[in-house]
Amino acid sequence: MSVAPQTVHPTTLRRVSSARRVADEIDSIEIEAGEEESAVARRICERLPGIPVHVVDNQRNERARDFSAGKRVLAVQRHRGTFLQHCPAGTTGMVCCNYLVINFASNCPFDCSYCFLQDYLANNPSLKVFSNPGDGLAELDGVLRQHAGRTLRIGTGELADSLALDPLTDLSGLLVPFFAARDNALLELKTKSTAVDSLLKLDPRDRIVVSWSVNARSIIAGEEHGAASLDERVEAARRVQQAGYLVGFHFDPLIAHADWEEGYRDAVESIFSSLDTRRVAWVSLGSLRLTPRLKAAIRRRHALGQVLTGELVPGADGKERVWRGLRLQMYRRMLEWLRAVDASMPLYICMEPVGVWEKVFGEAPSDRDVARRLVAQRT
Amino acid sequence: MDETIERQIRAYASERRFHSETVDRWLAKADEDVVALWELTRELRLGENQLRDLWDWAEEIAARDRKTIAAVFDSEPVRLALRSPGGRNDRVKALKSSLRRLRFPSLTKAQDRIGELVASMHLPPAVRFTVPDLLEGDDVRVEIVARNPAALAAAARSLADAASAPACGEIFELLSGTPDSSSSD
Repeated sequence: MSVAPQTVHPTTLRRVSSARRVADEIDSIEIEAGEEESAVARRICERLPGIPVHVVDNQRNERARDFSAGKRVLAVQRHRGTFLQHCPAGTTGMVCCNYLVINFASNCPFDCSYCFLQDYLANNPSLKVFSNPGDGLAELDGVLRQHAGRTLRIGTGELADSLALDPLTDLSGLLVPFFAARDNALLELKTKSTAVDSLLKLDPRDRIVVSWSVNARSIIAGEEHGAASLDERVEAARRVQQAGYLVGFHFDPLIAHADWEEGYRDAVESIFSSLDTRRVAWVSLGSLRLTPRLKAAIRRRHALGQVLTGELVPGADGKERVWRGLRLQMYRRMLEWLRAVDASMPLYICMEPVGVWEKVFGEAPSDRDVARRLVAQRT
Repeated sequence: MDETIERQIRAYASERRFHSETVDRWLAKADEDVVALWELTRELRLGENQLRDLWDWAEEIAARDRKTIAAVFDSEPVRLALRSPGGRNDRVKALKSSLRRLRFPSLTKAQDRIGELVASMHLPPAVRFTVPDLLEGDDVRVEIVARNPAALAAAARSLADAASAPACGEIFELLSGTPDSSSSD
């Protein structure tokens, strides 16, 4: 496939600049045969001039591809299954927030050492963007019509970073108007990037929450390879909040490292000092959790850092977490600092049993109550 | 690295049928760590799984504390464990225990404190008081063994006394993750 040279217009310089950051991480583009003329494929090729483009059979076997190498291949392909799924974090025995995920992409250009995708996508590692997002929105439209009496929280940031590839795909240009026109859904765009320029031109009408996964500065510097710094994320949050978006923050994974108290307190203060906390949709807390296979993948792919050296022990679900006493202490301290910022900010914990909720919040709401509170409080 | 040591390691690993990945990983370490692991392996005649368990913990302690694996094995608690009385199995057990303490300082501190508190309640042998494995839970388990009503009543009285003692309250606080329970200082 040939790609015409692109003329860069002054008004698009900023976006192209973001695209170039992503482009530095991409070695080649693979487009599924038959999808070459899709809007997504054309846009990506236009915005990544000079990157080799290959048209490939969709049956190719990716198993031989190393995970790191896979991240450097941007694949555009048709998605053939259902787009909308329940959040995989909803596990038996854990309090669940009834979150739904809709997948328009798979894998992430960043390389956080603790990322579960290293295991989850081990056999399917290329950085994928689906060429038929319209099919996903049509599916979602049907679901929203079926459940007109309920407000659903839906995110695109489970198997991918919601915004990191937006400078290439402009997916936000489809998603924001779609959700802004509906009154029974909230879209969460979850990211570790600063790629918010496209959002600033759109009207979210209080149906979009742009959220950032955040961490202590030393964890970001040592473990979140390629992702934006804490200050860059906060600045991006400030910009989208000024543009009318609700924002959210996910302190997940909380990692018990040396000086974690100072690190997380600083993160809380740094984040909320420049934001209007009345326009924060939610804040979540989640402890680092590792399956045995993920732990093995981390050991194989990364230097022993702050992730694997915590006091991690296996729990009832087979995942290792920092031992419960320390975990509870971390949650309580976070709660204390967050409440001091604004006692009314909606908070929840991800993937913890009733007993932990009771110890931290003094109550254990039902799954449905957690979900209802999160959509009711700021919208 | 001393070729003699590399030959000795390869011969030992071959004799014990270690996986080649283990040997490669071993020999890729810094020289002083290769030697420290060899001395430990030779002295305790470690099998591959035993070696890997001890090695993983020592490596994680070393990464956390920014020291070498050799320095971890040369630390006072580990040297004491290696000099502990008894046979090879006892010394392996003592070594594992000492490394576990270094690897999980706040957890072992809380477990030690709970052990002290349980002992201080002076429960009779007929009453067994157990906390969750690795302290992952709120619930304690109490088991009473009695052969007749009088023994059952005596055990229940002891248990009631223990339940109202401050030690019992502190045990539940530790399971709830009070700040003191998590400090490794």
